Parts: sequence; structure tokens; C-alpha cells
Amino acid sequence: MNALFSLAASAVQHLTGAKLGSFWSKAALILSESADATSGATVAADATSGATAAAVAVSPFLNAIEYTIVVPLLYFSVLFCIVGIIWRLYKILGAPPAPYSLKIYPSSKSPGLGALKDTFAMPQLRRHKPLFWVFLVIFHISLIMLLLGHLDILPSISIVPESSRHMVGAGLVGVGVTVPLLYFLFRRFRTPVRELSVPADYLLLILILFLFLFGDLMSWGNSWTPNGFVMTKQDFSLYFQGLAQFTFADPRAVLPGSHYHFLVIHVLLADLFFIVLPFSKILHAFLSYPINLLRRK
Amino acid sequence: MDAATQDMLKNLFETKLNSAMRLYLETCTHCGACVEACHVYNSMPEMRYSSVGRSEIIRKVFLKYFKLQGKIAPWLGETIELDDVTMDRFYDAAYSCTGCRRCMMYCPFGIDTQMIMGIAKLLLIGADKEPKLLTMLADMSIAKGEDAEASKAGFEEAIANIEPEVEALWKTAPGKKTIPLNVEGADILYVALSPKHSIIPAAAILNAADASWTLSSFEAVNFGAFMGDSKRMMAIAQRIIAEAERLKVKTVAIVECGTAYRVMKQQTGKHPFEVVAFVELIAKFLREGKIHTTKNIAEKLTYHDPCQVARNGGVYEDPRYVISQIASDFKEMTPNREMNWCCGGGGGLVAMGELEFRMKSSRVKADQVKASGAGRICTICENCQTQLTDLSEHYELGVQVDSLANLVAHALIQE
Repeated sequence: MNALFSLAASAVQHLTGAKLGSFWSKAALILSESADATSGATVAADATSGATAAAVAVSPFLNAIEYTIVVPLLYFSVLFCIVGIIWRLYKILGAPPAPYSLKIYPSSKSPGLGALKDTFAMPQLRRHKPLFWVFLVIFHISLIMLLLGHLDILPSISIVPESSRHMVGAGLVGVGVTVPLLYFLFRRFRTPVRELSVPADYLLLILILFLFLFGDLMSWGNSWTPNGFVMTKQDFSLYFQGLAQFTFADPRAVLPGSHYHFLVIHVLLADLFFIVLPFSKILHAFLSYPINLLRRK
Repeated sequence: MDAATQDMLKNLFETKLNSAMRLYLETCTHCGACVEACHVYNSMPEMRYSSVGRSEIIRKVFLKYFKLQGKIAPWLGETIELDDVTMDRFYDAAYSCTGCRRCMMYCPFGIDTQMIMGIAKLLLIGADKEPKLLTMLADMSIAKGEDAEASKAGFEEAIANIEPEVEALWKTAPGKKTIPLNVEGADILYVALSPKHSIIPAAAILNAADASWTLSSFEAVNFGAFMGDSKRMMAIAQRIIAEAERLKVKTVAIVECGTAYRVMKQQTGKHPFEVVAFVELIAKFLREGKIHTTKNIAEKLTYHDPCQVARNGGVYEDPRYVISQIASDFKEMTPNREMNWCCGGGGGLVAMGELEFRMKSSRVKADQVKASGAGRICTICENCQTQLTDLSEHYELGVQVDSLANLVAHALIQE
């Protein structure tokens, strides 16, 4: 069986490596190495337990899949996201302008500043939906912190000292995005918002909720438990460094322990998020200013 | 609905997809903040009568025919097909929306439901399902513009007949025409409506101010705008624009009609003349001391901000200043200015009749008027005036509804 895996891996490496180089050949190599490394153990395992044997048999495939998720698919989804956003913005903002002004009064002295205020301070919601507004403000500020927190993992950026086990916000940023998100999800189950929600609205919130929860697991584990999350921020920084330098190295080498799979699921959900983003309502992040400008100009 | 009609409607839909429309269709996050903005929803709480409820029908059709997501996973956004049932829903949505744009004060993105309803209205015309009364009225206006000479004699006679009523309000100076017509080089072109009550008080005020003015041969109302038909809208407005250019006037003053004002001021491009609402002229005359008034209204008076003149036109303070010169007990309604409730008569509803719907859908307006405790209410829009009068009768509010120009004309002091 293991010989078969090795053969298959070699074949993949042989067929794709020469043409595509880098990541697929790397994936094939991982598959092959895993098969080799586990072949000895398999003999012993066969003797003891069928279940262990099955697990060992699956592991090379799992490793290859996990590598694909955390390295090549991540690159692809981020690239897809950027191209998708540019395409959508081009389609929307590149269309002919409205034939006349759509503003409402009283008019702003500076339409640009007025639209900025509408975009970031959301005064309409503050006035008419104060609780929703509070959650939205907490959520969006936390999102910015979340972005900074992820950048901070890079060794070259040190918002929080590199030796610290904490992410930016020491776990609070996770609370700041997760709790409001639960509110956004649950308010969709109540009239009148329920009546105007479509499956895409729920699915998007559920995807983001799970993405956050897996992130929380690592961040809260490191910040709020005495033993931490096994993998520390320094470990993640090695993974990020590899990504930033396009080494296509398998992060499994620097991220030890079986908790690695939680990270993989977190990254898988992030991949999905990046792919979905340009075609979802999240695009409002980019459309909010131009659309608010219509009301002001 | 056959495939050819469907294709034709899709093509019509596409003509409306400018950048603003795409933003309006693609940004909504279904947050629901706008639901309570609409007077119809507040009076008849059904989602189809909320601004997002109306827009969603259009969005779901847009998703089906113009977005990849709608083609590969229609269930994600619950897309809707263009068929006869959808056209009925378009009618329900478009002609229950007065185009007041109050929802823009609630939406964190400022989505313009009136503009989105423009798609529904255009497709209804394409499917030959628009309110035929509006089409007829719009076409009559256009025909009048094409052959103005035909109605000239009758018009002049009718104007001559109402001159004594103007004289009763203000004695015109000797040698001056009571209602000047076709005066080239006049400063002001006053564009009225067909009924004489839209001409008599204004003529008295203009004469009192000794203004150089002339009356337009055309009525200001724009049924093309109510229909959401930009071609008819332009054709109707163009009659007045051409007349103003021919007479070389400096100012076009629009009668108390919200839609006519917004169309001329904002939706017909740049003009070589200034466009003002008639109340702006009255305020100017008062400030410059060209007319003088007495505060002859002692009863508690309130004011209704017409959506198209106030929220969508920016005229807030001039009417209040004018009222301060004629009334001693003014009481604001709550809410007012940009947050004022729509009367429920806009978007062509008054012209179409629709009395039962107008009354049911504007309960919140009736409550607001009642809460003001005022015995009289004035406004600067003919549609609003009709609607408020109907509301007062239907809900037994006992409120007397007036045009502000009429109140001013009756408060003029002839020295």
C-alpha cells in the first residue's frame, strides 16, 4: 500500500514538477516523504491495530491536502480576491454616471467629508438603530485590529513584542468580532430582518463565524490559558515568513503537534472567505464611500 | 410572458444600469435599517411596503439576469424570473412608493429607492402595464407642447377671465397687465398649474412686488416623471425650457408643485436661467421689502415640508420665514424638515386617484398632523395639499389645508 503511495507521489512529482515547478512538486514531495517515513511504522501498526493502520495510510493524503490549503490555495484565494474586487469595482464604478444629482438636503459643505462621515460614523444608524450601531462600530474597529494582529505575526512587524504570546488585543479583538457577529446572525432570525434575508446572508455570516471561532481558539488559547495553544505566535510567524518569502515550504515542519489541524481549518475558511468576498455583500467595504457620495454630491 | 417580451424587458432593464443604479442594487446588505422609514410600512406593516421590500423585487430580477451568482446558484439570492406575476409585483412596489426618499435618511449607504423604482416603472411601460391615466395625461402635455398655437386663444381667454380675481387681491398699477403673457425680456417666467388657484395668488404677489414677469403657457406638472419615463419627462420639461429661452427670462419660478420643481431644478441639466420654487421668490420679496404682509393668521398654523421641495430640493427655511411674516402662532410638526413624513400623495398617486390606498397608507401622516394640535396647515405643493385635505376629511382631523402662496396673497398690505 505504502509503496503504491510512494509511486503515485513520485509520478505526480515527475509529471508536474518539471512543468509547474515549485508548489505542486513540493506537494508531491511531501506525499512521497510521508509515505516513506510511515512505511516502517505501518508494519508495527498492522500488528497492533487496524484503526491505526488506516490512520497512517490516510496521513500522507491528509498532509498533501493540508499543505495545499495552507500554502497554494491561500495564495490563489488572495490573488482571486484582489482580481475579483478590481473586476467588480470596474463593472460598478466604470458604468456611465447617473444623469442627474441624487443628493438629499441639507447639503454638506464638503460632500467628500460628508460621505466619509457617513461611511465611518454611520450617523443614520446611530440615530435609528443605536444598538445595531454599537455592535457595528465594535465589529468594524475590531476588524481593523484583527487585520493589524495578523500583520503583526510577520517577524518584521512588531506591534506586540515578538516574544509575547499575545496577538494584538490579547484575545479581546476576537471577542470584538465574534460577539457582534453572533448579534448580526441572530437578528436575522427575527422579524423584520428575517423576512428580507436570503440564504446568502446566513451562509456568509456562518462562514465568517466559524472562521472567527477557529481563530479565537488559537488566540484565546494562547492568551487566556496557562498552557497556551501548543503553537505560539513565534511558530505562526515562521509560517507567515515562508508565505511572505514565497518559499512554498510546508509549514508542518514549523507548526508541531496535532492542533495543527485547527490552524488548517482556520486557513481553509479564510481561503473560502477570500474567494467569496468579491461576490458577496462584503464588497460594501469598498462601495460604501462612493455610494454615500451620491447622497451628498 | 413570451421570450421576446422577456428579452425586450431585459434590454430595458439594462438601459437603467448606470453606476449609481449598480451601486444601489449591489451594496444593500439587508440590514433592515430602512424598514421603518417608509410611511406606507408604518401605516400598513407589510414588508412589500418597506423600501427594501420594494427594491428586493428588482434586485432579485437583476441577480437572475445580470449576475453570475444568479445563474449558477439562484437559490443563494432567491432570484425572481421576469413574468406576469413579477410585473404585478413591480406595479405594487412602484406605485405604492411616493418617491419621497425618506428611506435615504435611514440607510447607512443612502440607497435611493425612488431611483430603483424607476426600473420597475420603465419595465411596466415596456410591458404595457403602466397606469394608463398617467400616460394619457403625459401625452396630452406633450401634444400641447407640439401645437401650442391650437390652445393659445382659449388659454388667453381663460386668463382674461380670472384677472378680476387677481385684482380683488391686489390692485395692479395703472398701465400694467394683471396677468402678463408672452412677454419677451421679462425677468421671471412663472410656471403654474391648470387650476386657477395656482395662478391668482401668485399673480397678486408678483404684481405687489412690481416684478417684471410673464405667465408660462404651459403647466408645470410633469406626468412623465410620475411614470418614471425619462423621455416623456424631458419632452414635457422641454416645452418650458424652450419657452424660457425664447423669452430670455432670468428666472423660472415654479408653482407650488414638488415634482415640477425637482425635475426643472435637478433632472433636466443646466439652463441659462435660474430655477426657483415660488416660495423662494416670496421670501426674497419680503426680505427686500418689495411686499408687506400682515400677520392675519391667529389660529395655530403648522407647515408640511413637501418631500420633493425640502428633502430632495433643499428648500427648508424660506417657507418658515414667510410663515413668520403672516402667522402669529406657528407650530412645527414632529418630525419635520428632512425627517418629515411624506403626505402619501406623491409619485403620481394623487393624479391616479387611489383614494383608499392613499388614506390607508398615510395613517402615520394623519397622526402626525393631529399631534401638532394645529387647526390649519399650509404647504407648498399641490399634491400634498390635495392629499392633506383628503386626510383631514378621512381621519376627521378638522384641519384646514392651505397653499402658502394663497395665505400670503391674503395677507398682502396695499399701501
